[in-house]
Amino acid sequence: MRGFDRALEKRMQNRPPGFGNPWLQLGVSVVCVLASELLLKRGASEVAAPDDALSWTGINGLASPLVWWAILLIIASFITWLYVLRYIPLSLAYPLSRVVDILVPLGCWIFLGELISTLRWCGIALVIFGLALVAQPIAKMEERL
Amino acid sequence: MTFLAFLFILISLVTFVAAQLILKRAMEFSATHGMRNSYFTSRVAIGVVLMTVSFFLTLGLLQRFDLSYLYPFQGLSVIFITVLAAVVLKEKLSVRLTIGALLITAGIVLVSMS
Repeated sequence: MRGFDRALEKRMQNRPPGFGNPWLQLGVSVVCVLASELLLKRGASEVAAPDDALSWTGINGLASPLVWWAILLIIASFITWLYVLRYIPLSLAYPLSRVVDILVPLGCWIFLGELISTLRWCGIALVIFGLALVAQPIAKMEERL
Repeated sequence: MTFLAFLFILISLVTFVAAQLILKRAMEFSATHGMRNSYFTSRVAIGVVLMTVSFFLTLGLLQRFDLSYLYPFQGLSVIFITVLAAVVLKEKLSVRLTIGALLITAGIVLVSMS
C-alpha cells in the first residue's frame, strides 16, 4: 500500500497544473462517456431494426445523427482517457471511472424515463461505497501534495 | 437472453478489457520513449481497433435491450481490469483497492440484475 502510494505520489508531483490535471481529465472523460451513452441509446432506438440480422453488428446505428454526436464524444473521452492513463495506474483509474455506472442509470431515469427498482438503488449504493473506498487514499494524497 | 446476445456481450467485454491493458502499456511506454515510434503507434492502433469492435457490438445490443439493463454488464470489467492490471502490468494492488473494486463490481451486477 505504501509503495503504491509513493509511486503515484511521485508521479503526481510532476503532473501538469490546471486543465491538465489528470483527475480533472478523468472527470471530463466520465462526463463525455455519460453523455455519449445516453445519446447512443436514443440514436440506436431511433433506427432500431431487430428483424435485420445485420443490425447485431450495430452498423445501421450510423443512420442516426445522435449516434454520430455520441461517436464525437467517445473520441473526446478516449483522448482524455489516454491522457489519464499516462499518469494514473489502470487499477486505480478504471474503478474510479465506473462512477459512470451510477450516473448512467440515474441519467436513464431522469432523461430517458426508465425506472429504477429498489434492488437497483441498492446496487448504486454499493458502487458508491466501493468508489469511496478507492478514492479515500487519493484524497489524502492530494491533501499532502 | 439468447445465447447469441450472451456471446456478443462476452466478446464486447473481452475486447474492451484487452484494449484497456494494451492502451495502458502504450501510454506507459510513451512516458519514457515518446510517441513517435512504431511500438507506441501499433499498440494504440490495436487498442483502437479492439475498442471499435466493442463499440459496434454494444451498439447492436443497444437496439435490443434497455441501456440501464445492458450497460452494467461492463461493470464486470472493473474486477477483470483491476486484477489483470496487477497480473499483466505489475501494478500494486492494495487490500482497500481490491475490496473497493469488488464492491463496485457487485453493485453494478446488482444494478444489471434488477
